[in-house]
Amino acid sequence: MYIKRAILSAVSFAKRATLPLGSLSSSHIHTSACSRKAEDRKEMLASLPAKDEGTVGEKSVDIDTLINRKAKFFPDATLATQLFNGMPFNELPVCNIRVSPNNTIISVTDYKGVPRLIRSCGIEGFKNTRKGTNIAAQATAVSISAKAIELGWKTIRVKVRGLGPGRMSAIKGLQMGGLNIVSITDNTQVSWNPPRPRKQRSL
Amino acid sequence: MRHVQFLARTVLVQNNNVEEACRMLNRVLGKEEILDQFRRTRFYEKPYQVRRRVNFEKCKAIYNEDMNRKIQFVLRKNRVEPFPGCS
Repeated sequence: MYIKRAILSAVSFAKRATLPLGSLSSSHIHTSACSRKAEDRKEMLASLPAKDEGTVGEKSVDIDTLINRKAKFFPDATLATQLFNGMPFNELPVCNIRVSPNNTIISVTDYKGVPRLIRSCGIEGFKNTRKGTNIAAQATAVSISAKAIELGWKTIRVKVRGLGPGRMSAIKGLQMGGLNIVSITDNTQVSWNPPRPRKQRSL
Repeated sequence: MRHVQFLARTVLVQNNNVEEACRMLNRVLGKEEILDQFRRTRFYEKPYQVRRRVNFEKCKAIYNEDMNRKIQFVLRKNRVEPFPGCS
């Protein structure tokens, strides 16, 4: 197929050069095909699919493209001393959010970890199943952020622990309450060799 | 997992865009299978369940790999601009 194409191109070249087709000897065409051989091979290799490297992940590692595009989203070694609203990062107060399926507890501590404020959906007046909703979490977050602003803490770091309906909405509530969130950290305790957990719930 | 606080599993909020930061954090946690492991360890997983899950994951990975390859094969293009008018 590639040789054929080479011949065709030789013919078209001949036409362009206004040479009569009959004057081309077969040997002429042959040499032309030879000279194009290397080029054609390159073309063919380029059009072939990439070389198979076995199972995905066998020889190469998939790295999330996030790291290249969004490097500024991730902390580095200089973050601890970086100033946010006139305060170094590691002296900003911390807002700990403990999320569970049935409740959301938010506490604000200073940078040493001494708790100053604590609110939960239960304290906020939501009882029973209503505690474990995103609306309750948001209301709690708004009320605690008002208290934190009273203390003069406007810029905070957020630590989230656990999974539940309040995870997202509590963070959103803090922002709605007027706090300036600098960073979000996940503090969920996960173990790959935990002690034996409780038995499965019977359904 | 013990890590340096506020360095591991941390996302900085840019231009007060909390939602995007959360999405990014969740993406990282999801990709590292931290959330999966957390959910899995809430209740004891019996050995037969572990076997079933691992076998299912193996089959799924093989299927996904083959299917991706097939899709790439069907979608392959041999022209200068692969998708004209789509840039």
